Amino acid sequence: MHSIWAVAANTIKQALRMKIAAAFIILLMVLLPVMSVLMTGDGTLKGRLQSFVSYGLSLTSFLLCLLTIIISIYSVTTDIEQRQIYTVITKPIRRSHFLLGKLLGVILLDVGLLVLFAGIIYAITICIPVFLGKVLGVILLGEASLVLFGAIIYAITIHVRFLWKALGVTFLSLALLGMVSFLVYKIAIYTPDLTLITESELAEANNEFFTARAGLTPGKVDVGQEVEETYEKLKKTGQIEVFFPGLSARDIRAQLTVQEKLRKRAVPVGRRLVWKFDNVKPTDPNGSLFIRFKYEVSVNPPDMKVYGQWLVGDLRPILYGTKIETPIFRSDRIDGDLVRTFHEIEVPAQVVAKDHYLGVVFINVPLNDTVVIFPLEDGLEVLYKADTFTGNYIRAVLLILFRLIFLASLGILASTFLSFPVAMLLCLVLFVIASFSVFFVGTFDYLSLGVGTLYSYSFKWIIRLLPQFDTYNPNKFLVPGRFIGWFLVGKAAGFMVCIKAFLLFVLALVIFSFREIAKIVV
Amino acid sequence: MEYAVETFSLTKIFSGWWGRGKVYAVDELNLQIRYNEVFGLLGPNGSGKTTALKMLLGLLFPTKGRALCLGGDGADPKINARIGFLPEESYLYKYLSARETLDFYGRLFALPTKVRRMRTEALLEMVGLKAVANRAVGTFSKGMARRIGLAQALINDPDLLILDEPTTGLDPIGTRQIKDLILKLAQRGKTILLCSHLLADVEDVCDRIAILYGGRIQTQGQVKDLLQQSNKRQITTDAISDAAVEKIKRIVHDERADCVVTSPMDKLETFFIKTVEAAQQQAQPTSGAVSTTQIGGFLAKEVPVENILDKLISAPVSAESSPGSETTEPVVPAESSGPQPDEQLLSRLAEPTKPTEPKGVVSEEEAGTESVEPESGREQESPKSILESLTDRPKTEHEDKEQTGDNQGEPGNA
Ligand SMILES: Nc1ncnc2c1ncn2[C@@H]1O[C@H](COP(=O)(O)OP(=O)(O)O)[C@@H](O)[C@H]1O
Ligand SMILES: [Mg+2]
Repeated sequence: MHSIWAVAANTIKQALRMKIAAAFIILLMVLLPVMSVLMTGDGTLKGRLQSFVSYGLSLTSFLLCLLTIIISIYSVTTDIEQRQIYTVITKPIRRSHFLLGKLLGVILLDVGLLVLFAGIIYAITICIPVFLGKVLGVILLGEASLVLFGAIIYAITIHVRFLWKALGVTFLSLALLGMVSFLVYKIAIYTPDLTLITESELAEANNEFFTARAGLTPGKVDVGQEVEETYEKLKKTGQIEVFFPGLSARDIRAQLTVQEKLRKRAVPVGRRLVWKFDNVKPTDPNGSLFIRFKYEVSVNPPDMKVYGQWLVGDLRPILYGTKIETPIFRSDRIDGDLVRTFHEIEVPAQVVAKDHYLGVVFINVPLNDTVVIFPLEDGLEVLYKADTFTGNYIRAVLLILFRLIFLASLGILASTFLSFPVAMLLCLVLFVIASFSVFFVGTFDYLSLGVGTLYSYSFKWIIRLLPQFDTYNPNKFLVPGRFIGWFLVGKAAGFMVCIKAFLLFVLALVIFSFREIAKIVV
Repeated sequence: MEYAVETFSLTKIFSGWWGRGKVYAVDELNLQIRYNEVFGLLGPNGSGKTTALKMLLGLLFPTKGRALCLGGDGADPKINARIGFLPEESYLYKYLSARETLDFYGRLFALPTKVRRMRTEALLEMVGLKAVANRAVGTFSKGMARRIGLAQALINDPDLLILDEPTTGLDPIGTRQIKDLILKLAQRGKTILLCSHLLADVEDVCDRIAILYGGRIQTQGQVKDLLQQSNKRQITTDAISDAAVEKIKRIVHDERADCVVTSPMDKLETFFIKTVEAAQQQAQPTSGAVSTTQIGGFLAKEVPVENILDKLISAPVSAESSPGSETTEPVVPAESSGPQPDEQLLSRLAEPTKPTEPKGVVSEEEAGTESVEPESGREQESPKSILESLTDRPKTEHEDKEQTGDNQGEPGNA
């Protein structure tokens, strides 16, 4: 164990003192505050917050990914190429411990940097609503605190041997940080606002950004039987060839399934559609629920609006005549809602039944002249606040950390049998593929319809083995204020770290233990 | 287990792509190095010395044959814990300071913190790099890096020391010191395997040698047996009168033999060491290594079973300690044990924080860890005794502290 820590500490020192990490740190230190000022999004407070968080986190994640790849590869390959490993590996340290130490060092450095930068992004995000308009204040505070933060970290890591020195610098920096923050705060308070944040903008930001809302979508409907019936009927009447010329039975069934599902979500005039949700657990019973929906129509109304009536609550008393225990919320959308755009209805959370049941009813009022359809993917969703923004943010950062851990293992694996430039190239390519896995899979699925077998046994396999960074992209959740469940985090941890990173690392251990360390290949 | 290092038809063949350019780097090597032997592996460049060592330590896998170190596999951590290895060049982490480097290697041996610190300081002192201990080793000259490399190999007080051309890049004092170190370690029962193409190094210290050429052993045996010219005799005397010389010549003539009389020359090595030491005594500044001929406290310590006599022999200031030990005598010139304090020690006294640090540490540790006690107790002796013997200085605060440290230590020992 001692030796693992020794190697880990040495790896961190190497990364910091060889100034590899420094370049990345400085870049982020400069870019993040600048971005906080420049990223305005759509101009509203919410838009500004969304664009800052998404770009800030993306940039941080991207740079840290690069850094992880570089450091993990550099630190193993230089040890081998410059032969420091001769003196290390002949000490009582197992080869596996050597690699573990390297991995641990890279991960610890990642954790440190991630905490630092995620902390900075968080602080700036929280500050934006307070200081917005007092641009000067934001810049000053941001820059000053970042520089001082940097000084603290630098002092602690580089001069760790001289503890008193590190403590001195830390203390001084903290004192300075306090003074500067106080000054900036004073300046900000007394300078007039350049941009006025309206109450409604603030409310919007709080409801839709500074939150972690869980979304419930209606359960999947099984339409297998209906599809079979229709299919048989078409076949009997010989209409298959008419409607689906030249398609295979599987493709026809797939098309029929979509049609059938859409039919279940279509509401003719004067009819109603009922959704039932079973597991609605808002954190705050006195808070709000949100019904988020999007209309699709068969015939475009003249004003492009649909006038619907919504009922939300425990509908069982009405349907089965039991005792009414919770209120039922009713919303008549007399102003109408534009089709093909998202709308939200805020509903008090009290309407949820004691057993977490919630019913939602949409009534297509006769005022409309068209069938209203709720798109399959995102036609209707029940949103409720499941956690705070902070909790959500922490989980988002965890998702990024898993990525880094995976890349660290990948880098170490590559450097057990490749030289620095080759290993770098390999890892960068794999990193890009993992980052755009959905895109790659989609494109290649399309392009390789003809060469199916070759593709599905080679490239597709590689993509499967790589983690899908894009499916676990935290911005997908943070920007719309969606709840990142622990289940998702667990899944990401399981797949990316416990399975994939672990396998890579085991492979690295195997290769490394059978490798002739002193073999020189020119 | 009768051999410290044993190889059985050890063979290494390097082959390029598609078997082009096959190199028999080591060919059917059968080495047997007994415990407590100083063994020299000689050979011209490219004769396979380094390759053989790498196979001993598991850095390369033999094409054929087997190698045993201390009765086990040279890649086994348990065996590694008892081996010290100095590779051909000192491959060091450039960004670490000298002190951090030794600390790092100490950690790899899982040495307790106090022991690690103490050994680090002792070794830095021994290799004469204490003054530059906080400089990054990347900025060191080749010889200075070599010294750190050597210190690194000694941090675990190894039973088997494997040195690959230890003296390359070293100044004569460093060279002399390594030779002394080897002899001192041999006295303490350690085994040393030394690779070199510098014959002078090997000749002075090795019990047995093997000469390697083209990966094969050409010759091996006791140095004395191999080199002694049994048909000649040499007599060395003090400066005697010409008349006496004539008398001797006559006697030799009576024996029907020839006889040549000259005054022996000082060896350049001895002369060089004297000069540098004179400069050091005048405290002339240097940014390089400050050479001492002392050997690190813990390395000079005896194995516990040995008696007080041996302890005396192993005390650091050799001139004072053992007139009988021929090995260290010529190295330490008389001045260094004289009344003038050594420059290094002076600087240690002048600097308040440094000397106290290890001392305080020692006492704590003696109270704390059991296994370390006997070691540390003895290790502490050496710096103190130097201090006392070399300075007439009245006791300062620090020395008082040091004493209390000792007192605290005693009950722990008992
Ligand atoms: N990795 C390698 N690949 C090919 N040949 C090598 C390799 N390492 C050493 N050799 C060859 O093996 C021979 C012995 O080298 P070495 O053991 O380093 O010699 P030395 O006795 O000088 O230490 C040399 O001819 C050298 O060229
Ligand atoms: Mg060599």
